[in-house]
Amino acid sequence: MLGGLNTRVMLEYLPEIWQGFLSTLWLSAAGFLGAMALGVLACALAIQPLRWLRAPAVAYVDVIRATPLLAQLYFLYFGLPRLGIVLPEMLIGIIALSLNSGAYMAEIIRSGILSIPRGQVEAGMSTGLSYLQRMRLIVLPQALRATVSPVIGQTIVLVKDSSLLSLISVVELTRAGQRIAIDRFMPVEGLVATALGYLVLYYALKSAAGAWSARNALPGRG
Amino acid sequence: MGQQARMIEFSGVNKWFGPLHVLQDISLTVGKGEVVVVCGPSGSGKSTLIRCVNGLEPFEKGRLVVDGTDLSNRRALRALRMEVGFVFQSFNLYPHKTALENVTLAPIHVRGLSRAEAEARGRALLEKVGLGDRMGNYPHQLSGGQQQRVAIARSLCMQPKVMLFDEPTSALDPEMINEVLDVMVGLAREGMTMMVVTHEMGFARKVADRVIFMDHGAIVETAPPETFFTAPVHARTRDFLGKILHH
Ligand SMILES: Nc1ncnc2c1ncn2[C@@H]1O[C@H](COP(=O)(O)OP(=O)(O)OP(=O)(O)O)[C@@H](O)[C@H]1O
Ligand SMILES: [Mg+2]
Repeated sequence: MLGGLNTRVMLEYLPEIWQGFLSTLWLSAAGFLGAMALGVLACALAIQPLRWLRAPAVAYVDVIRATPLLAQLYFLYFGLPRLGIVLPEMLIGIIALSLNSGAYMAEIIRSGILSIPRGQVEAGMSTGLSYLQRMRLIVLPQALRATVSPVIGQTIVLVKDSSLLSLISVVELTRAGQRIAIDRFMPVEGLVATALGYLVLYYALKSAAGAWSARNALPGRG
Repeated sequence: MGQQARMIEFSGVNKWFGPLHVLQDISLTVGKGEVVVVCGPSGSGKSTLIRCVNGLEPFEKGRLVVDGTDLSNRRALRALRMEVGFVFQSFNLYPHKTALENVTLAPIHVRGLSRAEAEARGRALLEKVGLGDRMGNYPHQLSGGQQQRVAIARSLCMQPKVMLFDEPTSALDPEMINEVLDVMVGLAREGMTMMVVTHEMGFARKVADRVIFMDHGAIVETAPPETFFTAPVHARTRDFLGKILHH
């Protein structure tokens, strides 16, 4: 089947695919930044002691994890205008991606922090380190190190999830591939072109993760 | 014992974990320069007792004064902890920091020493505990006995007035126990005030001023080591000694 690929048509659509690729890249980057900001915030709220600040963070994470991204996307797409908030589709898409991945990022960061043995914190307390010093000098350097690989993993998911934005007519990689399918009735060519774009992004992230863990394994170990 | 000489003073301290009465009416005074060994069966409240001394465990009733600070004043806790070192059974070193960095962290950030001052102090202490050639090693590159000696140096680097030890050798292989005990004996002989939870009775004989036996959250017997080991008053103490001394 792949032997019969019409590479001439694929090349003809290269500019569109390239535009779609760039668009996916930047939607993902924006979604990633939003997700990290929300994730750090939700995590900070979830681990601090005041219940009334913890509750909204926990509810946010639960609601997002319990519902499909597609539902969240449509909810914003159809729901925001009813509240009188009219935003460009692109922005709605970025908000949806950020909200969605943010909940997973919050859980990843939280489990990184909880993975630091209590004894180290007590050792810090016993030498007079304050809460913020213990966080900054003992907990976070180790927790964030443990967090990088799963964060990159979630980012790979986020990149693929951005394809759903094609459903609210944001032009990105998936949508660009669909153009070949629709204009030329060549769905396979469109899908292959799309897949190649995602593969490039996947390998870029994967090698970033590999390079990072090779360089930052606990010093002296492995 | 004059007012001046009191370093740790429990008066009627009680603590509960839910329904469990883990410390029952503890009254105990430890003088400056005194070495007190605490022993007793598992679950008798030994760890809880010494964790109260630097505020790692709060308690519900009674009074505890350490180095003139009343522990009920939670605001004074940080300042007090600077003066009270704590050595854990499981070392609790910071795995992302070298031996020297483990030792200098608090002096730099809590005492406000310059890096150079803290490192000079830290190097001297690591030399003293026999780890002069291990300063750049990370904890996982050290044996248990070496890690525990780094942990002791980490506490000492704050120049505390009191040192608390919670079973410092019970996570160690037998051949490493003495290297840690030797450091503790040296410390005791230099006049450090120490509370040591341990079942190392050789250590108690050598340097303890008093040995305390705890059972079910209460202090059952307190005596100088000679009396404690040769003529314990209480049957429960005799039972306990019979069990640990025959091992
Ligand atoms: N955080 C906690 N919550 C509830 N119960 C606890 C807690 N910590 C300790 N206990 C209980 O309190 C009692 C005293 O514990 P503690 O650790 O002080 O005993 P210990 O004499 O140090 O024993 P071991 O020799 O096993 O270390 C035990 O019954 C223990 O199960
Ligand atoms: Mg204990």
